[in-house]
Amino acid sequence: MLEIKDMRKTYGKTTALAGVNLNVKQGETVVIMGPSGCGKSTLIRCINRLTEPDSGEVLVQGRSVLQLSDEELMAFRRKVGFVFQQFHLIGRLTVLENVMFHLVLAGADRTWAKEQAAAALAKVGLHDVHARKPEELSGGQQQRVAIARALAAGPELMLWDEPTASLDPILVGEVLEVMEDLVRSTNTTMIIVTHEVSFALRVAHRIVLMDQGQIVEEGPPEVIFKAPVSEIGLKYKKLLAS
Amino acid sequence: MLSFFRDGFYKDFIVLVLVTILLGTLFSAGIAWALDAYFGDTLTDMIGEYGQYDIILHIQEESKEAAFRELERLGDQQFPGARLSETITIAGQANFFFGLPEEFRTKEVMANLPSYFAAVPGLNSHTIISDPSILIRGVHGSVSDELAQKIEELPGVRFTFTDMGNMIVLLEDPILAKALEEDIKEILGEYQLVELRFPMGFEVDTAQVGEEAIRLLEQELPGRKYRNVTAAQYGEDLNAFLKTLVEMRDFLLSYASKVRITADPEVYLIVGEQIAIQGQGAELAEGGMLTEGNVVIEITAVNGDQAEGMIIRGEIAPAMESLHQGGYRVFSDGQVARPIGQVEVENERYRLAYAIDESLRLLEELEVLSVQATDAVQNADAVLNTFQEALLQLEVLQAQMRQLNQGISGKDSTSSSEQLLVSLLINGLFQSLAQAAVQAGEDNLDSLENLDIAAMRASLDQISDQVANVQDIDVQAIINQIEYVRETLPMLGDEDIGRSIRLINTYIAGQVIPGERIQIMVENGQVDEGQVETVLRRSLDNPYLNIYSTSVGVINPDARSEIFRLLTEVRAIIAGLLAIVFTGAILMLDHAVVFSTLKYLRRAGRAKRLRWQVLNPVLLFGGLLGAVILTSVYRLSGAEIPYLSLGSIVLIGGLVGWVVARFAERFSPVNIKEVTAGQALGLSNVQIMREIVIPSSRPGLMNLLNRWKQQFRG
Ligand SMILES: Nc1ncnc2c1ncn2[C@@H]1O[C@H](COP(=O)(O)OP(=O)(O)OP(=O)(O)O)[C@@H](O)[C@H]1O
Ligand SMILES: [Mg+2]
Repeated sequence: MLEIKDMRKTYGKTTALAGVNLNVKQGETVVIMGPSGCGKSTLIRCINRLTEPDSGEVLVQGRSVLQLSDEELMAFRRKVGFVFQQFHLIGRLTVLENVMFHLVLAGADRTWAKEQAAAALAKVGLHDVHARKPEELSGGQQQRVAIARALAAGPELMLWDEPTASLDPILVGEVLEVMEDLVRSTNTTMIIVTHEVSFALRVAHRIVLMDQGQIVEEGPPEVIFKAPVSEIGLKYKKLLAS
Repeated sequence: MLSFFRDGFYKDFIVLVLVTILLGTLFSAGIAWALDAYFGDTLTDMIGEYGQYDIILHIQEESKEAAFRELERLGDQQFPGARLSETITIAGQANFFFGLPEEFRTKEVMANLPSYFAAVPGLNSHTIISDPSILIRGVHGSVSDELAQKIEELPGVRFTFTDMGNMIVLLEDPILAKALEEDIKEILGEYQLVELRFPMGFEVDTAQVGEEAIRLLEQELPGRKYRNVTAAQYGEDLNAFLKTLVEMRDFLLSYASKVRITADPEVYLIVGEQIAIQGQGAELAEGGMLTEGNVVIEITAVNGDQAEGMIIRGEIAPAMESLHQGGYRVFSDGQVARPIGQVEVENERYRLAYAIDESLRLLEELEVLSVQATDAVQNADAVLNTFQEALLQLEVLQAQMRQLNQGISGKDSTSSSEQLLVSLLINGLFQSLAQAAVQAGEDNLDSLENLDIAAMRASLDQISDQVANVQDIDVQAIINQIEYVRETLPMLGDEDIGRSIRLINTYIAGQVIPGERIQIMVENGQVDEGQVETVLRRSLDNPYLNIYSTSVGVINPDARSEIFRLLTEVRAIIAGLLAIVFTGAILMLDHAVVFSTLKYLRRAGRAKRLRWQVLNPVLLFGGLLGAVILTSVYRLSGAEIPYLSLGSIVLIGGLVGWVVARFAERFSPVNIKEVTAGQALGLSNVQIMREIVIPSSRPGLMNLLNRWKQQFRG
């Protein structure tokens, strides 16, 4: 479904991506792990071009994402759900508006959009907070609103950039729960960047380990964590054992 | 960057820019206009509205009410529809503005305007303030008509008129003033006045030297027209004045007490020296000081041991016919020095008065005599003689008075100084006449003793006839006339006379009186002053000759229109400054969010990084926007800052825009999280602007305009 070929990105002298190749099948859940600054976010943002890669290729169902016109890119992005580490909710809109407004702006009927939004909020376990502003919610709730927003348009691909990393440890659980539910209940292709090892172990079809802008190891979780070959893999194995 | 403006955001943006410009114009022009109106009103109260009034009448404050009534009457009767307004009173002088209705603003009326106001009570002076106009000062009389004609031919000039040596050029439109000033300058430039001045004491025949100078100039500096315009009236006036002074001095001298000094042996007196006599004061003593009542005499002529002088301090007794006293030298500090001899003072005024009184007495007697002719037969002869003598003298006196009156009043002058002079001169003449009459009377008294009564009787018939004739003559009228003369004798004391003579002498002596001058008008182009000087100096050969070259008129910046122009200028400057402030403020507070978003999108996007930040399209766009807004607001609000061309305004606008774009994030930081969320959700740039960036930006114009397009009000 998704094919990334020799993707490269540098920021001045910093190399964020140094030739990444990755194939993701339809319905597959891929978890990307790696030390801070290894290029995970850059990689995932390059898929829907929130960051423009310097070179390489992104093929989604055979179409080159990097060649899309502005309009085509917008249409493509609408089919890709993106969950940010820091929620990225629109502060001035209510919870419900946050989840529906992009549907309306894409041309959907308001009532339909509202129904979709309510359904998506229900899916993440939020019922009676529709009229609140994001700032009136807990971090976990906010992130669930953000997940609902990504879900509302019925995405074919979901990209998660460390969705629990900025949450209070006691709130992490509720978000992971929602995520796990989603992975199990839908057939949506997912690429998840996370440091939650046990979560990865449970939900990932495949784990990709990155270091210094490159993929250093990949494979099913039981293989990666039992017999890692890379330095990073060994570190994660140790982490899991402790 | 262009993609940013697609999907209709460019329309939003154009509307924003247009509304910004409109608002900026209203703001700048509005505030400037309000300030202008405020100051303008204050100013108008003080100096009158531009073009509304024609003349300011400066009136003595005490006569203010009367003057106002008279001006109102003038307005009603002579110039219906005239405007009259009183303005500030300064230093005891009230000022009235008087404005003519348009139909009266003609050359004829304007040229004679001051004369209409001649009868206004308390009028001190006036200032012509008709506008729009150009004022030319010091227009030389000889070219004034010619200049007027040339200037009136200029398009845009209504007409010209002169007032107190100035020429006022009335214009059709104040806008034309600058251009017409140049044209008039050009016309004035065709003339040049060359003045040759000879110092006092040089007897110069101005006509002849003038002709000679012109001939030389025509020969040496050809191609121009030269004309001798030596201001005739100036010279004549001065001559008449000098003559008058001399006559006055001579009269005063004859009227002053006569001082004759006989010097002691070994004493040498010199002219100008001062000596003192006791007079009516304390006795003089060598080494003592002068006191009140002592008399000081200045020596005016010396001839051997005889000298003449005049009293310059103190008086001899009014009734005293003559006085003999010892004279002493005095120092200037009033200390009495050595005796010099005998001084004799004769009071001429006393003698004059005595003579007149005597004549009057005799005349009165004569009248009585004529009524009772037979009773007075013994005295008839003497009386008749005296009478005949007096009669004859009176005729002479009258003839002289007539002549004198004609001579002086013939100049059509009414100055009071000349009137005084007339009376002084009359008195002077009468003095000699009266003396003659007195002498005649004395002679007759002598002959009375040797009177041959028989002879008298023989001629009694004849005398009776003559006496009878007296009754036909209006003796009383003659008496009245002589009494009048007696009463009008100047009440001058010797000290006053002496001082006046000294003053006249210093004046005539010269420093104050300018010498002869010759004025030559040069037409059809200027000549070089230096060249003229070389030519004339070489040929006229007079080392004291001074040569000046002046203009025949100078354009004077009209103070009032200057003030009004300044006011408009100030308004234009304020509008200009406000336009700059407005542009900076609106860009910073309102438009900056567009720049910061654009910059963020460029950074995140594929745009290549530029080495040269200056060329960053966002900054260039900011510059362009600043230039467009400022230039438009500046132009539309009628702003004008001196020394700043429109090009500089474009530049300033560009710079302000560039700087604001450069630091846009400081004024309006982008909420990057919200923007990336919008991007990730597949929103277009215009949607991101309308729904995410602008609604959460600072409330302002952009925010307000965005409301029409915004779908989620939040
Ligand atoms: N906008 C940017 N400008 C400059 N450098 C950047 C930018 N974004 C990322 N980088 C650099 O690129 C490298 C990869 O960054 P990236 O955010 O992809 O790492 P990451 O693996 O997501 O790290 P983390 O786990 O901390 O989120 C890092 O060295 C980072 O400093
Ligand atoms: Mg990251």
